[in-house]
Amino acid sequence: MHSRLTLLITAAWLTLAGIGPAQAQHKVTFATNWKAQAAHGGFYQAVADGTYKKYGLDVTIQQGGPSVNNRPLLPAGRVDFLMTGNLLHSFDNIKNKVPTVVVAAMFQKDPQALLAHPGQGYERFENLKNAPLALIAKDGQFSWWQWLKVLHGFKDEALKPYNYNLAPFLSNPKAIQQGYSVAEPIYVENQGKFKPVVHLLADHGFSTYSTLIEARTETVKARPELVQRFVDASVIGWINYLYGNRKAAAALMVRDNPEMSEAEMEASVALMKSQGIVDTGEAAARGVGAMSTARIADFYAQMVKAGLYKAGEVDLTQVATLQFVNKGVGQDIKAKLSGK
Amino acid sequence: MQANSATMPPDALLSPHPPYPPYPPYPPHPPLLPHPPLLQPLIALQRVHKQFDNGLQALSDVSLSVAPGEFVALLGPSGCGKSTVLRLAAGLDAASSGTVQAPALLPGRTSETAYVFQEPTLLPWASVFDNVWLPLRLQGRSRADAAATVRQVLARVGLADFEQAYPAALSGGMKMRASIARALVTQPQVLLMDEPFAALDDITRQKLNADLLQWWHGRLMAALFVTHSVAEAVFLSQRVLVMAPRPGRVVAELVIPQPYPRSADFRHSSAFADACRAVGAALSEAHDGPARQLPMAGLR
Amino acid sequence: MRPAALWRSSAWPARLLPALVLLGLLAAWEGVVRTAHIPAYTLPAPSLVAQTLVANFGSLAGSWWVTLKITFGALALACIGGALIAALFALSPTLERALFPVAVVLQVTPIVAVAPLILIYVESTTAALLLCAWIVAFFPILSNTVIGLRAADANLRDLFRLYRATPWQRLRLLRMPAALPYFVAGLKISGGLSLIGAVTAEMVAGAAGRETGLASRILEASFRTETPKMFAALALLVATGVMIFWLFNALSRWLLGPWHASESSRPL
Repeated sequence: MHSRLTLLITAAWLTLAGIGPAQAQHKVTFATNWKAQAAHGGFYQAVADGTYKKYGLDVTIQQGGPSVNNRPLLPAGRVDFLMTGNLLHSFDNIKNKVPTVVVAAMFQKDPQALLAHPGQGYERFENLKNAPLALIAKDGQFSWWQWLKVLHGFKDEALKPYNYNLAPFLSNPKAIQQGYSVAEPIYVENQGKFKPVVHLLADHGFSTYSTLIEARTETVKARPELVQRFVDASVIGWINYLYGNRKAAAALMVRDNPEMSEAEMEASVALMKSQGIVDTGEAAARGVGAMSTARIADFYAQMVKAGLYKAGEVDLTQVATLQFVNKGVGQDIKAKLSGK
Repeated sequence: MQANSATMPPDALLSPHPPYPPYPPYPPHPPLLPHPPLLQPLIALQRVHKQFDNGLQALSDVSLSVAPGEFVALLGPSGCGKSTVLRLAAGLDAASSGTVQAPALLPGRTSETAYVFQEPTLLPWASVFDNVWLPLRLQGRSRADAAATVRQVLARVGLADFEQAYPAALSGGMKMRASIARALVTQPQVLLMDEPFAALDDITRQKLNADLLQWWHGRLMAALFVTHSVAEAVFLSQRVLVMAPRPGRVVAELVIPQPYPRSADFRHSSAFADACRAVGAALSEAHDGPARQLPMAGLR
Repeated sequence: MRPAALWRSSAWPARLLPALVLLGLLAAWEGVVRTAHIPAYTLPAPSLVAQTLVANFGSLAGSWWVTLKITFGALALACIGGALIAALFALSPTLERALFPVAVVLQVTPIVAVAPLILIYVESTTAALLLCAWIVAFFPILSNTVIGLRAADANLRDLFRLYRATPWQRLRLLRMPAALPYFVAGLKISGGLSLIGAVTAEMVAGAAGRETGLASRILEASFRTETPKMFAALALLVATGVMIFWLFNALSRWLLGPWHASESSRPL
């Protein structure tokens, strides 16, 4: 009798132990800021190769697009995590008392760039401001364009709205346009049959992190372990995407965005590696997703100089939390995959 | 001519009448069409047929004439082609066969013919003055140029105080006066009227009847007046043409020998009553067939 | 009117009614935001919107002026264009039959889809925005005026024929005044559409730099999560729409008041 009870209890324990590490799959929605492209590759990789599942997360990626603004969904509670393109969005949120916080920075460099035709004198960044036509989308017009105007002498007269159509740029040799350094140059080469001149804003002082993961402050307070799992799984996803087998992720992204092709995505990954977008600088030392308060403060100072904010208007301590990154997560996987 | 109708034998009403002498023209007056002999008709329809596109035979073998200084009434129920006759005389429609002679059909003429519609048909956006000015304006006369004439005719119809009023502010009778004023402003030779008083109440109607005779009298206008009221036809006209429908044709012509000017007393005289009876009988016979033996014989 | 009579007269409650309803709605909005503690970045309270409007009025006023210029510019062009084309159609029925389908195509083309294309083909941003707003606004004027020019009473037409009026006289003295009520009705519709067209075109295609209208300010505020500012700009847009509505109602009363049934004060 006693022994049978012990057996039962032991069996129950063992069963529970067996179930234990494989926790209940928590449903999570992650909204991006564009249609699926290689710059989102790490997240799709984590979905495709089961990394999120291993961390107990059932992640749905909700893509954005040219006419979609996913940002209000996060404070409204409709998504759990949000991808944003630069710290300016976070500064704006804190300024307007929106309760969100940055928890990780996947890109150490913002791939935001200006493209120009070769052989038109735009090989030097200083000459871009003389372009008669600058095609800038609304998002950029209301953020980093101001910085370009104040600190680099660009003029409003040249600005024309960029509607994500390459035609006006391709047909006008004197035009410049915005783009992601890891994306638009590939499309320009495919459609316009020439290699454009690319000037990364990051190389000229636009020192923000990019592809940030944002969460609600209440989520961070109430369920920090959920946030940690998501961040860790995303970091590992990025490392696998850059150095491992990308085929499954590519298939997922093409399904979400049929206009994307695998060749373009491969070219994009190559550029990401060569330009050191993801794992250089702080990320090389402390793992993908790393952030530092010093860099955030420096970037804020730059933006104050550009007139986008007033000094002290934004409480920088609320912009990001470092509790989930800088732990070297995924460094071992990277070493294994890249053979170092 | 006949001084007292009470002493006349009844059938004297229906005998052929001698021509009326022309009244002296009221100065100023536009030159008349040359017309020896004395009463060359101004409007003449001869054996006119009118068939509309939908196959409806509006008029069949209609002949009539109206001379200057004559007031002729066209009497009949709805649908007998009275308005069609008027429109033919105004040149607004063309006959399918037969001949129509009227000043309106002559090229280059613009204002010998005046038409008064069943509705006042005023321009609702213009004042009474501008409405009456319209025919002169279409001839090319400026407002200042025509002002005197317009005011004169407005005074004649009794609307002198309503020059600046809009039609929306006027009563039915006043609108009709304005419409007639517009018709008279060009001093026309032909006056075509299509049941103009049909929509008005009896009192206004009788007043306008009397006024109309005053405005017409002495101006040698050939007046063709369409109506479905026997009393109105008898009061106003010298000759009543009775029409029948389907197809439209003139079935009887009666003479009302009462001389002009006719006062309101005429309505209460026995001559009037007799004439109405005769005309009424002709009207009902035209439509229902001979109902009973008429005391008067000799219908032309 | 004597003061006592003024208080008793029934005109007062009627005139105050729209204002009272509006105030009631605003009060309800304020109440809901306060009691449910709705954050300002989701739905700002009217008091906050008013504060923001006053604080930013200098910069918003400039954009308001730009939007007004485009709206009324497009409306003026739509009036002239619509009325002229309608007059041409009235004088030449063959021309009407030939070109009316083109007008219909312009009407049904969604401006949201066409605005970016127009911005590519047209050099000046202001011209492109005017063109977009014109496309949206001109059809009601054209269509209504064409009907109006045909609407002259049959008897009046006969009258003009009788007096041998020339086609030009007919157009000027009969058809155009007869068309006026229809034209004004079209104008009332086009007033609002012109505003919508200007705002839609600017939202979809965007304007640049100094020549930004209220739509760009709304977008800017939305991108920077400054929701109270967004609502402030929106309030100015709504005020513009209401102003246009009142303006054309007054115009209609002035032009048609003395004579047209639509402005008659008699009960229907």
